[in-house]
Amino acid sequence: MSTTTLSSSASRAASGLMSGASAFGVKAALALLLTVVFAGLPLVTTAQFTMSLGTTLMIMAIAAVSLHLIIRTGHVSLAHAAFMGLGAYAAVLGTTQFSLPFPLALLAAFLVPAAAALVLGPLLLRLSGKYFVLVTFLVGEIIRLVFVSWQSFTGGANGIFGIPLPYGFLESPVAYYYFVFAFTALSMAFVARLLQSEVGRSIDAIREENRLAECSGIPVLSVKVAIFVIACGMVGVAGALSAFFIRYIDPTSFSIIQSLNLVVMNIVGGMYQMAGAVIGVLFFVILPEFLRGYVELQRVIFGVCLVVVMAFLPGGIVQLVARLRQLVATRRGAEG
Amino acid sequence: MFTAPILGQILVTGISLSAIYILVSLGFTLLFGIMRVVNFAHGAFAMLGGYALFYIYGEWEVPYLLAAPLAALTVAFGSLVLERLVFRWFYQKMFQSMIGLLGLDMAIMFTAVMIWEPHERLVPAPISTVFQVGPLFISGNKLVVIGVAAITLVAFYVFTHFTRYGLAMRATAQDVEMAEVQAVNTDRVYVLSFLIAIFMAALAGGFYAQTYVLSPFMGERVLMMAFIAVILGGMGSIPGVALGGLILGLSESFLGTFYGGTTSVFIIFGAVILLLIFRPWGLLGTPET
Repeated sequence: MSTTTLSSSASRAASGLMSGASAFGVKAALALLLTVVFAGLPLVTTAQFTMSLGTTLMIMAIAAVSLHLIIRTGHVSLAHAAFMGLGAYAAVLGTTQFSLPFPLALLAAFLVPAAAALVLGPLLLRLSGKYFVLVTFLVGEIIRLVFVSWQSFTGGANGIFGIPLPYGFLESPVAYYYFVFAFTALSMAFVARLLQSEVGRSIDAIREENRLAECSGIPVLSVKVAIFVIACGMVGVAGALSAFFIRYIDPTSFSIIQSLNLVVMNIVGGMYQMAGAVIGVLFFVILPEFLRGYVELQRVIFGVCLVVVMAFLPGGIVQLVARLRQLVATRRGAEG
Repeated sequence: MFTAPILGQILVTGISLSAIYILVSLGFTLLFGIMRVVNFAHGAFAMLGGYALFYIYGEWEVPYLLAAPLAALTVAFGSLVLERLVFRWFYQKMFQSMIGLLGLDMAIMFTAVMIWEPHERLVPAPISTVFQVGPLFISGNKLVVIGVAAITLVAFYVFTHFTRYGLAMRATAQDVEMAEVQAVNTDRVYVLSFLIAIFMAALAGGFYAQTYVLSPFMGERVLMMAFIAVILGGMGSIPGVALGGLILGLSESFLGTFYGGTTSVFIIFGAVILLLIFRPWGLLGTPET
């Protein structure tokens, strides 16, 4: 089946990475580098543009990496932005309508999408690849329609603007930057640790061969549902962070196009490597900044990237790097 | 509320909607059944069909019965470039095709935004007469849509069942390798099926743009409806598509009239999700082994 060949080629790419003596070291170095760069950025410049780009990057990183968790189990969800929207609306309506304190609103941003995922997960995750994609497409559309049609509560298509900041000190872009930084660092560390753990190995086993994993005593459906719930909760928090950052939400920000963007980031970077998701985010949040004012062209380029990567390089940029390394290694072998 | 004239009216509207949905989803299911490609860009081709009809019929005023097939043919043959550049890489690769063609959909849609601006346009209706049959008022438009769609579907049936190429197509759908062993040129079958599928999508797109409104984003909704019809009937099953399209068109017309557009979308989507969960192979499909 095509999925198996795809994932096996990706895992070959992965083993190619591993064969480099210090594969783990490379990843750790990348993580360390990114942490230092992002932690130190405000010390270099606190220009409005840099701070807002950095904050956007980090929020999108949480979203993309949480989708990466779902993709690792072998399912591509097209409803992820909708869950992000659930979190955003939960936090914003929590603070404005129910006057929840901010920490509780953030908790709601995690719990509401997670609860939705807990209800839908056991039903959806039974479906095989293509049906899952189709259903999540519809689920995402339904959630967006709820945002649009529940006018009295969500503000309908106009959305909600002038969202008040919870604490005065977050007014400063640098403060909000570090606030988001804390969440991002935590999420990244959590996901990286989770994927290294035994659960992570179960996830990979489930993707590679569902039934074999089941036979080896992995509770396949429970693991998938648990991952789905965690991922949807995480993206909900990302949604809330972005809502209080832009201070405006509307249904179009959580439409299928946004879900697609998240998928693009994951796939172009490399579908079955966490590093892939991170590289994808860097690529696709910074690239559009050079194409400001050409929003349509941006989307066209995104689309073409998806086509090219899926046709020629299903393992993404990570696979390309691995191939180059192998090439260099064989060259050296031939010389020596 | 549920009087005979109203129900009759709903029936006519429903059938003309069904005709559009069946045309779109037939192409979609053809690509899936023969090439194992999940064409997420199908709605984009319908949208292109809408624009082709807008120019050929609306601007250049070619007679309608010539303009509609001409527009669809233009799109179908123009798209052969995409068959060569994009689709060919994805044949028999279901998963990659899904994601890659989502990308193609996005690329076509936003190229359309750049060329034609995002605002909505109207494609003029072919005839403005309204026929009165007893208590029923039937717009000539809908009859034209139903008529052209019916002719296309009959032609498709005759082609697949009574010609050599039709036989080759059905053989390829059943088993690519066996078909090749029997000296079927599968490459040619692929191109042919692609042409037929895109022709039907573009034709339906023209009708759709006429019924509702033409914009670069109209493809999304068409795509969603094709999904639903195909899922209802069962992926890859041709009688399933006919049944799914009919159910979808009639229920949209019925629910939309009595309970409003949003409610009808919620009910239809909800029903489809339930069906997918309990019977993912659809009403007339067969479960995969």
